Amino acid sequence: MSNLRKNYSEVYDKYVKKIYRFVLLKVNSAEIAEDLTSEVFMRGWQSFKGQGPDKIENIQAFLYQIARNLLADHYRQETRAQFVSVEYAPPLPDAKQDLEEMSFIQSDMERVKAALVSINDDYREVIVWYYLDELKVPEIAKILDKSEPTVRVLIHRALHALKDELK
Amino acid sequence: MKQSQLVRQLKSLRELEPSDNWVSFTKERIFAGEPEPMGLRAGVLSFFPLFRYKLALAPIISVLVLIGLFGFTRQTLPGDFLFSVKKMTESAQVTFSSGIEKPETQLRLANKRLEELSRIAENNQVGKLDPAIKEFQMNIVQATKDLAAFDINVTSSDPLAIKGLLAETKKMTENKERVESVLGAIIGDTNELDSAILQIEKQTAAYLITDLEKRTLQESDLQLLNQARDDYNAGNFATSLEKIWILSNK
Repeated sequence: MSNLRKNYSEVYDKYVKKIYRFVLLKVNSAEIAEDLTSEVFMRGWQSFKGQGPDKIENIQAFLYQIARNLLADHYRQETRAQFVSVEYAPPLPDAKQDLEEMSFIQSDMERVKAALVSINDDYREVIVWYYLDELKVPEIAKILDKSEPTVRVLIHRALHALKDELK
Repeated sequence: MKQSQLVRQLKSLRELEPSDNWVSFTKERIFAGEPEPMGLRAGVLSFFPLFRYKLALAPIISVLVLIGLFGFTRQTLPGDFLFSVKKMTESAQVTFSSGIEKPETQLRLANKRLEELSRIAENNQVGKLDPAIKEFQMNIVQATKDLAAFDINVTSSDPLAIKGLLAETKKMTENKERVESVLGAIIGDTNELDSAILQIEKQTAAYLITDLEKRTLQESDLQLLNQARDDYNAGNFATSLEKIWILSNK
């Protein structure tokens, strides 16, 4: 058990920041990102000690897969929770005022971050993996269970989609 | 926006990181309730597997260290650094001895001092001679005091106590001869030793003769007791004790 714990502790140290960033760029909330990331590693640890590390072929792909599943669950629950009466809904923000505020505080980084949150999930994932986490195409192909040429095309399209979003 | 510019901006997003506090707190939460691995916090003693359980072993190790220390101090001599520890354990032995056993315990300690004196003399450790003689004298004085306060009526009811007392006195006479043979050549004069031992022999013989006089003895034993008394009156306490020894072992 102590060896397993030591190994998983190393896994945690290596991937916690990547998984957090991956989740944050989807949910755009540090608090939710922390909750979901912590859940990713909790579940990862349960599987790690239950199945044993030998059964997990690629720990990185395994953790990203858990994160993707949790994000899907999170949005499924959020969609359900949004069916509330209009009477109880908070007043809609003034879009014009929001844009004005944003124009003051938005740096380039904020703009890219906002654009990433807005694009298609598949595009955002490959962009994060390829450009931020510097995963190789075969690694991304393994996580997505797709062929390498398909992943290359996906990355190309994702970058175009992001450019369009930033225009 | 050019592609290279966009990629550079994307890479700047690597700065998005969770706080260090959250990272370490979450890690602790994940492993909460799991046994701690050796390598993480076991510290400098982790190379020795036994110390994985060092908290549980702490009392056992302390006892073992104490036993080792007391075992080691048994070999120390007067004038050595750890001799005071040895004396401490001996004082505890005397304290926990019953009233009947106390003189015997004191005599046994006096014998130990004699044996140490003998070792010191044999090894020619001149520097330790003085403290060793002083220690022996202190034990003898204490043994004499204990014998003086000894209630012969109580002792006579315990044959084992009498035998023990006699055995220690006999041993002291033998030790004295051995010490004298070595020590005499070194310090030339063993009068102090002689008078101390003589005092013990005298007192022990007196008590034991009184005790034997109260018993019903056979004719031959009575004759031996008379001879022991005569020796005592003549000042031959060691010879008197020899005869008492024979009588006590019958």
